[in-house]
Amino acid sequence: MAVDKLMSLKDAVSKFIQDGDTIYYGGFQIMVPMALTHEIIRQRKRDLITVESSTDVGGLDILVGAGCVKEIHSAWIMNWYVKAPYAIRRAFQTKVTKRYDVSNFAATSALIAGFLGVPFLPVRGNIGTDMLKLNPMDLAMVKDPFTGENIVAVRAWRADVAIIHAQVADRLGNVMSWGTRGVTDEFGAMGAKRGVIVTAEEIVEPEVIRADPDRTVVPYFKTLAVVHCPFGAHPSACRGYYGLDIRFSQYQGKYERSAELLPKFLDEWVYGCEDQNAYIKKYISKFGQEGLDRLKPVLGFKPKYQVDYGYHDPAVWKGVPQYTDEHIKA
Amino acid sequence: MHAANYKLTELMVVRCAKEILDNEVVFAGVGLPLVVVSFAMATHAPNMILFTEGGSIRATAPPGLAITVDDPALFCNGDATFGMLSTMAALQRGEVDVAFIGGAQIDKYGNINSTGVGDWNKPESFTYFAGSGGANDMATSGKRVLAIMPQDPKKFVEKVDYLTTPGYLDGPGARERCGMIGGGPSVVVSTMGVYRFDEKTCEMYLAEYYPGQSVEKVKANCSFELKIAPDVKETEAPTEEEITVLRNIDPTGFYLG
Repeated sequence: MAVDKLMSLKDAVSKFIQDGDTIYYGGFQIMVPMALTHEIIRQRKRDLITVESSTDVGGLDILVGAGCVKEIHSAWIMNWYVKAPYAIRRAFQTKVTKRYDVSNFAATSALIAGFLGVPFLPVRGNIGTDMLKLNPMDLAMVKDPFTGENIVAVRAWRADVAIIHAQVADRLGNVMSWGTRGVTDEFGAMGAKRGVIVTAEEIVEPEVIRADPDRTVVPYFKTLAVVHCPFGAHPSACRGYYGLDIRFSQYQGKYERSAELLPKFLDEWVYGCEDQNAYIKKYISKFGQEGLDRLKPVLGFKPKYQVDYGYHDPAVWKGVPQYTDEHIKA
Repeated sequence: MHAANYKLTELMVVRCAKEILDNEVVFAGVGLPLVVVSFAMATHAPNMILFTEGGSIRATAPPGLAITVDDPALFCNGDATFGMLSTMAALQRGEVDVAFIGGAQIDKYGNINSTGVGDWNKPESFTYFAGSGGANDMATSGKRVLAIMPQDPKKFVEKVDYLTTPGYLDGPGARERCGMIGGGPSVVVSTMGVYRFDEKTCEMYLAEYYPGQSVEKVKANCSFELKIAPDVKETEAPTEEEITVLRNIDPTGFYLG
């Protein structure tokens, strides 16, 4: 029996994320799970380990700055709009958070290895670099068993729980996304041991997703919780819903810059908001509805070919004799 | 006709774009490479094929300015949007002609650091930047590497603090010994000039300096002992038309200031 997994942001995080968990942190430069990031900070989760390919807009930076993360395995972490991940820089310097570096494709391959359920995968990159020298936890030189040549292997990354943002989900936990999809979300989410927490711009009936299953990136059986969460990726973009809020990323970045300033941002925008609705209300109260309206995307990029997933009914063969040469018409 | 007024960043973009040939598969990293490829597609390389880390594969310029490598603009009317797996896999298969990257530091062998400065083993001294992103994968396996970087003595260094992205490592033969399938750095374009690499020594040398610059000025902004091409020359200034096309790509000056 399918279970209704629709719940509040608060319940999703309190029920399914525990201190010390390894978290797949979804998205890339877009589709960053910001509402979930804020909720994890609000609930003061501790000692998390994150795995991801690359991540922007300072989501992971504020998660680290709020003291939630002890270890990061990643290729690239940024608030690109202030050109640095300041909180992570401080956490690394003060040895609060350990950083394990790999290349983007090594990270993707680590997640794919987790997705495949195998212990490691070979990758062409990382050889000859300091990543290989300084990150023996994730990277190792191995011999190709068939040719004997050296190649770098990357350890499989399997999270306990994946957190992702998507455009659409249903209450059962089917997740639909399009465009870049999640870049690596399919692999990071499917490889998660306990499952996936998803925030979605819209909740639709399961029939809607089942009518277009090619766009399903996470099927319901992997999903732990579904949260209806408009603007859940803000200030990163969500394809078809809103664009990147550069000005807000820069604003947030100003606070990421120092250990003294960051708590002020967190007090105002995270601890000071009960949930994502409160955060968006605050946004409108500070920057006006026009601030939100400015994020509206240029639309009109719809598929021009209407697909039909039609099937064939084998009942038509009932009573039809085997084809023999006699059937061939002269 | 040469443009009367242009910024050095604009000249850098225009000059850099000329390193891209028509029909090439170009894998563009975040930042200036995204505006360079749009310019190349709008001018001399209309048949260029653009790959990004976000997983877009497209034969046409994006309808709007892309800010990120997974920018929705890169996916509107793209040819395929399979995600990072598909574009990065093409690198590993050896199908990418140009790996087009930036970075924080570069040394004379074209090794690039985008991880941070200081001593990794003394974390208190280490200033973190960002990490490899896709640059390492691109520079390992792309047929040739095109790098774009502002000229600064802190960026053009004798030895990178952290080797994130391989150039020629410690010199001739090193890439081959590692089994890298890509050919390594071919050109570096900065805000002052253009560098190439000696085929024998694998060392970077100055091939061109921009109008208003000079060999001496470039040397003063480079921390390693810079070799100079015997036929070093002044880069041609951009034309009015080139600057007009470029400013239409980035009308608000997001990249170009």
